[in-house]
Amino acid sequence: MHLTAGLGAEAYDRTYSDSQLIRRSAIYFRPHMRTVAIVAFVVVLISLVSTITPLLIARGIDSVEGNRNIQLLLGLAGMITMLGVLNWAFNLVRVQLSAEAVGDVVLKLREDAFQALMRHDLSFYDKYASGRIVSRVTSDTQDFATVITLTVDLLSQLVLLVVISVVMLAVNLQLALITLTVGPVVVLVAMGFRRVARRAMQQAQRVQATLNATIYETISGIAVAKNFRQEAALYSDFRETNSLAYQVQLKRLIVFGSIHPIMHGISGIAVAVVIFSGGSLVLNKSVTVGDWYLFVQSLAIFLNPVIMVASFWGQFQQGLAASERVFALIDAEPNVVQTANEHVGSLRGQITFDQIMFRYSEQAEQSSATTELSAPTSADSAPWVLSDFSLDIPAGQTLAIVGHTGAGKSSLIKLIMRFYAFQGGRLLIDGQDIRTLDLAEYRRQLGLVPQAPFLFSGSVIDNIRYGRPDATDEEVEAAARQLGDGSWVDSLPEGLHSDVGERGARLSFGQRQLVALVRVLLQNPAILLLDEATASIDPLTEAQIQAGLAAVLRGRTSVVVAHRLSTVRTADRIIVLRNGQIIEEGDHETLLARNGHYAELYTTYFRHQALNYRPWEEAEQLTPVGEV
Amino acid sequence: MSSREFTVSDEYHYNHRSAWRWVGSHIWRYPFLPVFFLITTAAMAGSQSLAAVLVGRAFDTVVAGASVNQVAIAAATVVLAYLAYSLSDIINTIVVRILAQRVERDARDEVYLSLLGKSQTFHGRQRVGEVMARVTNDVQQTSQIVSPGFNFIIESGLSLVVPLIAIVTLDRDLLVIPVIFLVVLAATLWRYNNQLRPVAGALRARFGTMNAGLTEAVAGIEVVKGFAQEHAEERRFSQNARAYRDSFVRQGRVEARSLPLLVYGLAIGLAFGHALLLFIDGRVTVGQVITYMALLNNLRMPMRFLLNVFSIIQQSIASARRVLTLITTETNLDENASGIAQPIIGDIVFDQVDFGYGSEAASPNEPIDPNLILQNIAFHARPGETVAIVGQTGAGKTSLTRLVTRTFDTDAGQVLIDGVNVRDWSLDSLRSQVATIEQDIVLFSRSIAENIAFGARGLATPEQIEEAARQAQAHEFIMSFPDGYATVVGERGVTLSGGQRQRIAIARAFLADPRILIVDDSTSAIDSNTEDQIQRAMRRILTGRTTLLITHRLAQIMRADRILVLQHGQVVAQGSHDELLEASALYRQIFVPDERSALSSVPHAG
Repeated sequence: MHLTAGLGAEAYDRTYSDSQLIRRSAIYFRPHMRTVAIVAFVVVLISLVSTITPLLIARGIDSVEGNRNIQLLLGLAGMITMLGVLNWAFNLVRVQLSAEAVGDVVLKLREDAFQALMRHDLSFYDKYASGRIVSRVTSDTQDFATVITLTVDLLSQLVLLVVISVVMLAVNLQLALITLTVGPVVVLVAMGFRRVARRAMQQAQRVQATLNATIYETISGIAVAKNFRQEAALYSDFRETNSLAYQVQLKRLIVFGSIHPIMHGISGIAVAVVIFSGGSLVLNKSVTVGDWYLFVQSLAIFLNPVIMVASFWGQFQQGLAASERVFALIDAEPNVVQTANEHVGSLRGQITFDQIMFRYSEQAEQSSATTELSAPTSADSAPWVLSDFSLDIPAGQTLAIVGHTGAGKSSLIKLIMRFYAFQGGRLLIDGQDIRTLDLAEYRRQLGLVPQAPFLFSGSVIDNIRYGRPDATDEEVEAAARQLGDGSWVDSLPEGLHSDVGERGARLSFGQRQLVALVRVLLQNPAILLLDEATASIDPLTEAQIQAGLAAVLRGRTSVVVAHRLSTVRTADRIIVLRNGQIIEEGDHETLLARNGHYAELYTTYFRHQALNYRPWEEAEQLTPVGEV
Repeated sequence: MSSREFTVSDEYHYNHRSAWRWVGSHIWRYPFLPVFFLITTAAMAGSQSLAAVLVGRAFDTVVAGASVNQVAIAAATVVLAYLAYSLSDIINTIVVRILAQRVERDARDEVYLSLLGKSQTFHGRQRVGEVMARVTNDVQQTSQIVSPGFNFIIESGLSLVVPLIAIVTLDRDLLVIPVIFLVVLAATLWRYNNQLRPVAGALRARFGTMNAGLTEAVAGIEVVKGFAQEHAEERRFSQNARAYRDSFVRQGRVEARSLPLLVYGLAIGLAFGHALLLFIDGRVTVGQVITYMALLNNLRMPMRFLLNVFSIIQQSIASARRVLTLITTETNLDENASGIAQPIIGDIVFDQVDFGYGSEAASPNEPIDPNLILQNIAFHARPGETVAIVGQTGAGKTSLTRLVTRTFDTDAGQVLIDGVNVRDWSLDSLRSQVATIEQDIVLFSRSIAENIAFGARGLATPEQIEEAARQAQAHEFIMSFPDGYATVVGERGVTLSGGQRQRIAIARAFLADPRILIVDDSTSAIDSNTEDQIQRAMRRILTGRTTLLITHRLAQIMRADRILVLQHGQVVAQGSHDELLEASALYRQIFVPDERSALSSVPHAG
């Protein structure tokens, strides 16, 4: 039976058989065998205590009927009281030890999952939404814990059920068989309910997604609506959505709320059946009153696990699927695999692409990484981004890459960073195969400024120090002042100690870029890789960035994906990419004079950045417009 | 709430004096539902106790040696009691959920309406995410006061009390142990809740920390890997995960030691002993002992419910308080309906204007910033002029423009339009003659035509809409969609590019035909053809209107009649391009004539 149908599958997901899952989970519990054994033992004890209590009461009832022995009766009552205390004590041990074991297991699972995340190259992060990756590490591991706890609870209930059944069968076969028929009936009802509930749930989820979107829109639209005084129209939209949400939610809640009353109704009928049949047997003298009581009492204990299975089945199933997702994350193989870990001395910065074949796909370069366990990948039809690509960047050169979207500009940078694995050819750094380098050492000599500068929450100084946690405040300050005239530091509310907010939200885009530049500068990288921002930055900051950039580029190999006119104009060399091929190269003046591909790109992307850009004048000459 | 900008006639008024009263007034809006809820809850507790009594009677009947028929009748009465319980339970469930959902719906409606009534000042300062959280999560959490909150408390309360009444019918003395039990239970519950609350709070907080750290590491994976910091991130995550684990175990320890279960176990044993003693005295029958034990058994479930319900209610009332704060936050602008209403010519004067957020009525959550955002702003824009505003993010550019539409009010000095202080204008007249093209353009999930028609307050003929779209250079791309102007955009329809959205916004402004235009044009188009279209449209809409233009484009700045250079909320330089090149070092920094000027010689193609 497969319990994991259609819950947000990802390409790296695999299906584990139930026994694989259990074995896999067992590995995590192995260090806690002693705890698990104690919990199991205590669970059995709790079941025994829970059975003995009604049994004692039953005996008590029988004995008071015959001789009224006060000592015997008080003894019984005392024993029941003691059992109550024991029950509590056993439960204490069970809950506390389970919490410790589950806590440790989840911790280990989370650490493993996070380490797996860190092992993956960027192709993994491109493919999967970050929210879903995060939820695998936090929520799915939590759900795994829930499954474990539920399983323990369920097992203890089942042990109890078996013990009770045995006792009942021993006491009276006929009455026991009548009582036991309740089981299947309840199970059938629960299964039927599950189907109805699932449908209501799916409906609600579908509708809720749309509703949330509409509510979000009407709320973010308030400011605009006020501008045009359209409040009434917006309000009627909102009202309609809101009342729809009410209906959908209500329906779901009522369906789910009805399971308990229904189960109680069934148990009522069962009690009545046992009262009638048991009563008749008592009249026949084939059953004592105490035993009869025992059966009535046991019914509740008997129904509990079934009700529990019925109400937690969904959660249980969800948890199994969740643990499968966590294991799949841990087991997925990274694409970037180093063949050696050679020490990287200080780099000169020569980069050579030698007949590189590259495409974004899930397949690793040397197929050594794939195992029989990995998910079958569909026929790899991703187009080549770079095909037979060769390029030599001498040490110290500033190379600008231009081209249309999708030409492969950023891919070059990502390959140099070794964020992705290529499928053929060689990539040499100072003449050494990139696959043989110690990646951590190598990357420490690279400086990457991505298009959207990412900052971690904390202060500006923490962010600048990110790559070199040992840098002193003075070093950071010096690096920061190196950019432009350094005045950008003073414009921050608390200088370098300003809080950048979540993902740098408290800084402007331009300021974030400056921080990202200093972060790289502090590393003093041998090779600088810069993916220029396409977002526009206010002219003051822009001027500072350009001035800063000149300082950073000087004296090192730099590869820049260019979006700014000023960058292409100052580069040592420009290459024009189309479909992963270099179709033109040279410097700005020469290329522009050639009036070829570069000139075309210039009119498409760079023309409007020029100071003499005046499209409206031309337009007004061509198509005169009347008064507005 | 004297100063609301939008009201509806059939609005229901709730009590705003405290969060409890507010939730109460929401519940009592439908008095029928809570009353019905109480009745069905009582019926549940009653029928449950009745079932216990009837089971006991059945035993007595049999012990007394009855016929099979009598046993059958006894069994039948038990079924009836159970079914009555089941039925009242189902009705109860439906009633309480209807009530909870209505409270949620109405509260959301109330918040929304109050948001519509608040000034632009308010909305200008609220983060959408913040408001969203209140309207969605907090409102939802508020409804949990009703269900499971009150639902559990009342149901558990009655299920604890009604059995006591049933016990009185057996023998008054049997009350002793259950009553002691309830008193001790209340004390242990109180203690348990006090122990659990901080632990559960810490657990939630640590989960949040772990989740936030992880989210950040994943979002910044390029940086993590680029700087080879994987191991540092692993350590950081491990630390957070370990802190969570410790809290988890601590919560387990508190739960394990919860005394209510122990108290219950003791009570059962003692009660049984007591019942047997009374039986020996001949004061109760076997059936009554059984009934007694069954009634005590019924106390188990409500006890479990009560373990969790208080923390739910505490969280919910905190949410309710947040929602209520949002509703009751007053803003100090009003419609000034009796103010000046006349055609605007378009003369704008800023006269020594200061502005800071500090003076605003307290916003629910933001720390008040005492610093002035704008200081001593003075300039004059004559009718038809374009004033470009240049400055870094945070320099106060957007705040400055918002003083014109009275999204914000000045703290000192005044903003004059046609010589009249903006505060003396009727807000409606003022805003209808000033249009704003924002940086983030909001489109609604409606047709393109409707989105454009917003500009004319929804009253525009299809011909007018098309004409506006043509003027805005939007007609062509609109017609490229299969449904043309009827194309639905936004969440549920076509996604438009930034350049397309901007042109829709310009079309809107054409329809509005304002005398004063405020444009925040600081987004960028990365290809020159789109840029050509936008700038042509922009040039047309600017013509003949007084315009405040926030832009990053050097060519646009150069062409403006007047340029304000803003730094830290102050105008550090103003004048025409040529004047500023002479006078301002900061301005020269932007237009450094190093190599850029060489470009001017390059002819543009196309």
